[in-house]
Amino acid sequence: MSDTAPVVTVRNLSKKFCTQLRTSLWYGLRDIAAEAWPGAAPAPALRRAEFWSLHDLSFELRQGEALAIIGDNGAGKSTLLKLLNGLIKPDAGSIRLRGRVGALIELGAGLDPVLTGRENIFLRAALLGVGRAEVLPLLPTIIDFTGLDAAIEMPVQFYSSGMVARLAYAVAAHLHPDVLLVDEVLAVGDTDFQRKCIHHMLGYLAAGGSLILVSHQPYHIQAVCQRGLVLEKGRLAFAGTTTEALDYYFSHQAGAGAASELPDRTMPALSEARPVVIEHLALMGPGPVVQSGDDVLVTLTYQALRPVPGAVWGFLIYTGDGSTCITAAYPPEPVVLAAGRNQLICRLRGLPLTAGNYLVKAAIADFEHRHAIALWGWEDAPGRLHVEDAVSATKNSHKILQQLVTVEVEWN
Amino acid sequence: MKETIYTSQSPLHMPRAFLREVRADLGVVYRIGWQLFVRNLKVQVRQSLLGYAWLLLPPLVTGLVWVLLGRTRVLNVESDSVPYPAFVLAGVFLWQGFVEALGCPLQQLTNAKATLAKVRVPHEAFVTAGAAVVVFNSLLRLGVLLGLMLWFGVPLTGTLALVPLGLAALLLLGLALGWLLALLGLLYADVAQALPVVLNLWFLITPVVYLPPAAFAKWFNLNPVTPLLSTTRNWLLAGPVAPASGFGLVAGLGGIFFLLTWLAYRLAQPHLVARL
Repeated sequence: MSDTAPVVTVRNLSKKFCTQLRTSLWYGLRDIAAEAWPGAAPAPALRRAEFWSLHDLSFELRQGEALAIIGDNGAGKSTLLKLLNGLIKPDAGSIRLRGRVGALIELGAGLDPVLTGRENIFLRAALLGVGRAEVLPLLPTIIDFTGLDAAIEMPVQFYSSGMVARLAYAVAAHLHPDVLLVDEVLAVGDTDFQRKCIHHMLGYLAAGGSLILVSHQPYHIQAVCQRGLVLEKGRLAFAGTTTEALDYYFSHQAGAGAASELPDRTMPALSEARPVVIEHLALMGPGPVVQSGDDVLVTLTYQALRPVPGAVWGFLIYTGDGSTCITAAYPPEPVVLAAGRNQLICRLRGLPLTAGNYLVKAAIADFEHRHAIALWGWEDAPGRLHVEDAVSATKNSHKILQQLVTVEVEWN
Repeated sequence: MKETIYTSQSPLHMPRAFLREVRADLGVVYRIGWQLFVRNLKVQVRQSLLGYAWLLLPPLVTGLVWVLLGRTRVLNVESDSVPYPAFVLAGVFLWQGFVEALGCPLQQLTNAKATLAKVRVPHEAFVTAGAAVVVFNSLLRLGVLLGLMLWFGVPLTGTLALVPLGLAALLLLGLALGWLLALLGLLYADVAQALPVVLNLWFLITPVVYLPPAAFAKWFNLNPVTPLLSTTRNWLLAGPVAPASGFGLVAGLGGIFFLLTWLAYRLAQPHLVARL
């Protein structure tokens, strides 16, 4: 077989799980019976209380490549790694692997808390199929990589989770697997160790290893992987370069739709108790969608029972999760609200927001005392502002840094 | 380069690949079984003050209790020509070996649950290491028993050489049932709950501390442990060399049963891991 053949080939891979424990056990017994009765075809359809944890997934991984699996919790990332590692078997489709697979799915697993770090190196290597004689020459390198020093002689039960991560990663990584599966393990290590791991992964890739990385840390993904897959509820939502995949993920993740979880907006009726009601707040760019740097027209529509002198109005822009107010704007002078249905307008020059989803709220208050006369978006759903920008590495770096605004700078 | 293919098909569709995988896994088991066995021993004693003394203490205490009972002549049970304490101890020690072998797969695999769910390891490695501890403990108990036999003046005869054969048959039968229990017990907790109850009953219907009354010998022989245990005890205590009726049959069927339940467990393995 030529070296250009993929190291990992996944075709139409599907795996189902059951939501109820007892039913799941019963299905388990039936599936086991079906294994022993090769004539009985496995049921491809979902049974009661089952769902697809992975559905119809296909991809390839070649030698020297690193692939990132991106997705929300429960998207099927860990299921995929377990299938690739042969821990569980597919319900449909196939996986073809060439070479030895090393996996870091959960770090604590396979370590004995009573034994020392050194003893655990041998034990873990043994569990991965590598004998004592093969580990001995690697031992100094492994211990050096862990950076545990004297703690290597301590029982593992006294280790912190970061120390466990160091030990487990060091063992699995130094046994030279052909394919390395890494599941969100760098998160517990300190920055020094994370840097060490990324350095190691790059060296491993350069030496012809192949890697599949599951991580929620965009920095790790961009540092190591060339390609990314985005999973959504077990289905392949996007496949492309890491930059594109991260962009797709950030623009579609659940946090972006957080506003939809708030109660629907209810237009309160105009009454003596509520003499002013805000009907709507709109932010419009020159094009069909608002883009970073646009001049934006802000329009507030209100109804008033009678004229209101000495009022002030304003709008506020929040982060997509509603936790942080990025900016608020009020006119410096009081305005008079006319009776009936009217609009207040202002212009925002060169929108400084980076691409993403934001929430907007509006308020009308008494100018002198600043107590609210009418609110919009506080107790009910705020308005949503979606800002676009062309896909680029800069856009991704904004996401990674969680950068919200870009200010104009004159460089000398 | 080694190629691995995972599909939804039963491994029995490709028996040759299945057997190749079994062989590869056995290679791993062979390499790491010893390490796991040593680990089991270490873990067993490291958190205790008395350490390795715990390996010898339980059988020694059991032995001493029976020596004292024998001296005070509290018990006066008919037991051939052999002193009753020696007869009982031989029976109890062999029965213990069987029970430990029976519980070994489920116990070992349950302990290793966290590892099995996350790391690709041959499950046989844990069971083998556990079985090695069972054999080790059985041999220790036999050592204690030999000492007590000298004390009671039971002659040591040539049939002692056959004891390992009988013990092996007994442990193999236990392991065969153990694989089946592990398969079911990793799914349903009922198995672990029911096991002590069933074993207590089984102990009572097995001639461990008594000789089966001749009138019911036929019924007692339906219990597969009976021929294995009686025969091995006879070989231990200078009894007749000829095995009890059914010994060969049970030993042979036990071996076949062991292979079948072990392979059944292998087929079930991915489904069990998905539910750990």
